[in-house]
Amino acid sequence: MILDPLNVVLFGVVLLLAVGFYGLLITRNLVKIVLVLQVLVKAVVLALVLAGKHSGNLGLGQSIAATVIVADTVVAVVALALAVQVRRRAGTLDIAKISTLRG
Amino acid sequence: MAGILIGLVIGLPWLGTVALWLTRDENPRFQHALAVGFSIAAGVASLVLIPFSSAETAISIPMGRYFGDLTFTADGLAVSLAAIACVIGSLAVIFSVDYMHGEAGLSRYYAFVLLFIGAMAGLVLSGNLLFMFFFWEITALCSYALISFHNDDPKAVAGGIKALIITQVGGVGLLAGALTTYVALGSYQISDLIANTGEMPAGLLTLVAFGFLIAAAAKSAQFPFHTWLPDAMEAPTPISALIHAATMVNAGVYLLARFYPAFEHVTGWTLAVTLVGLVSALVTAFMALTATDLKRALAYSTVSQLGYMVYAIGVGGVYPSQFHLLSHAVFKALLFLSAGAVIHAAGTRNMLRMGALGRQMPFTRNVFILGALALAGLPILNGFWSKELILEAGLSQGPLWAYIGMLLGAGMTAFYTFRMTWLVFFGEAREALHVHDAGKAMKISLGLLAVGTLTTWLLAGPFGEMLHETLPFHSIHSLNLSGLVNEIFMAPATYIALTVVALGLVIFWMVRKQATSQREAWTDVLSRESFGFDWLNRQIVAGTAQLASVLQKTQTGVLSWNVLAIIGALLAVLIYLVWSA
Repeated sequence: MILDPLNVVLFGVVLLLAVGFYGLLITRNLVKIVLVLQVLVKAVVLALVLAGKHSGNLGLGQSIAATVIVADTVVAVVALALAVQVRRRAGTLDIAKISTLRG
Repeated sequence: MAGILIGLVIGLPWLGTVALWLTRDENPRFQHALAVGFSIAAGVASLVLIPFSSAETAISIPMGRYFGDLTFTADGLAVSLAAIACVIGSLAVIFSVDYMHGEAGLSRYYAFVLLFIGAMAGLVLSGNLLFMFFFWEITALCSYALISFHNDDPKAVAGGIKALIITQVGGVGLLAGALTTYVALGSYQISDLIANTGEMPAGLLTLVAFGFLIAAAAKSAQFPFHTWLPDAMEAPTPISALIHAATMVNAGVYLLARFYPAFEHVTGWTLAVTLVGLVSALVTAFMALTATDLKRALAYSTVSQLGYMVYAIGVGGVYPSQFHLLSHAVFKALLFLSAGAVIHAAGTRNMLRMGALGRQMPFTRNVFILGALALAGLPILNGFWSKELILEAGLSQGPLWAYIGMLLGAGMTAFYTFRMTWLVFFGEAREALHVHDAGKAMKISLGLLAVGTLTTWLLAGPFGEMLHETLPFHSIHSLNLSGLVNEIFMAPATYIALTVVALGLVIFWMVRKQATSQREAWTDVLSRESFGFDWLNRQIVAGTAQLASVLQKTQTGVLSWNVLAIIGALLAVLIYLVWSA
């Protein structure tokens, strides 16, 4: 069944992943990068719940998903705080301009 | 009871680490007092632990499925090494009160010293290979941090990094051995490995045996890893005495002694151990002949004496090797600490600038001579008895060529020991150095170590008895004191060795002009380059750096490329999964 709920959710996961990766590829703004990373993590959370349901361990999948949400929120907060500092010190949020890691 | 004491021996120094880490450098007297207090308490606990030694597991803490139980066993081998670590540790801390007077960063210094003492005790008491590896790495970290204690001195930093890298090679050997054991036996317990070696496939057992040999050689600065110890002499002298002479470098010898019954039938293992010991003892004794830096000369002699212990294990003499370990820990700590008193007073480590210091520092001279006599192996000091036991074991159980090599080493030991003593304390004063004798705290620890150098051989009987009773798999041939005295004085090996030692002295006396001259000879060049091994080390480091700079090209620093690589890898995995399904 193409409209099986599992398949619908899986489609959602792939869509979110695609949006996230696409955003990561094209964007150069640090705040937007934090944003698309959040989109990517949401795809992972969805995938965890889906995997839990699919394997019959829904509780396990949900609890790991909840853990990821908490950890990910912390990451987002720290990343945004860093972005604020970068803007203050470097005067720009363009990652190409602030990057010093060159081979 | 033994469990509580083990907890104290490891826990007290670590508690001291936390306490000292929290102190500020405004009140150095308080820091000194705190460190001395914690280290002496640990020393007392370790001495009280000795009567409780047994082969039984004293503590067992379940750590989950993958780590096995964290066990501690206080058998004879473990308690004697823990006692050496804690007692000499506390003496080194007492010595530091004078030596480190007025230095900045005491909180960092003492915190690492105490962390080291606790980790060393944990390393020898641990009955679990994986946790032994953790303790092993903590000691390496402390060694690195303390070698580089003066972190504004590039030589000290380079010496620390060199020590860290080379001992890491050994750490990998130990970890590989531990993991292989787990794969083969499903357990990390040391007792399981020693008891069930017969059940292990021969190939895996060989892997474990040689992994441990690499670990031991790197930790004990044995050939071909002997280059790090001389460079580690940039550390403050109490650190050299404690970590690089009396305790950490013994961990390798301990490892070999501990697993000797498991590996003695592995093809080629005992021969390899004998060879490592022999080559280390000879090569570094040769380098000590020409060294001009007082601490480097002592470092070379440490490697050389450790070579004797490794050799003893190779020929099956676990008891002589452990007995020499005890003697060496005491007299080498004495030598290093009195060298520290000299360096502290003279402000230089170059022996060619010293000379005739004996008149100005008589106490230091006397205890140094005591240590030097023990190092040279002259009766009746502790070094004499243990070295004779090793040579006797070598003559009766080992190959003759190795024995002759070790005899040659004994002669060279006598030569360089007297050259060292002569250069520092006797002869004519080459420079007008105004020195003062050791301070009060220095005298306490030097005096106690001097007493130890004179008397620890009296413990031979009980020490052997303890090893015999608590190590069921080692067949320890224990001797009581009168038996030891008899055996030593009846054996022809003793007189051969003493003749060689005397020959070394006579040769030194005949060539003392050349041996103490400033002019550089071919032997100096050869020694300075560690027979080409320093060159090899530099080549390896340069090769690694070159590889890194080539691989650096892959780090563009452009985010889009990295994301593209991630997506590419993801697609590759997906395609593989679909393909194989």
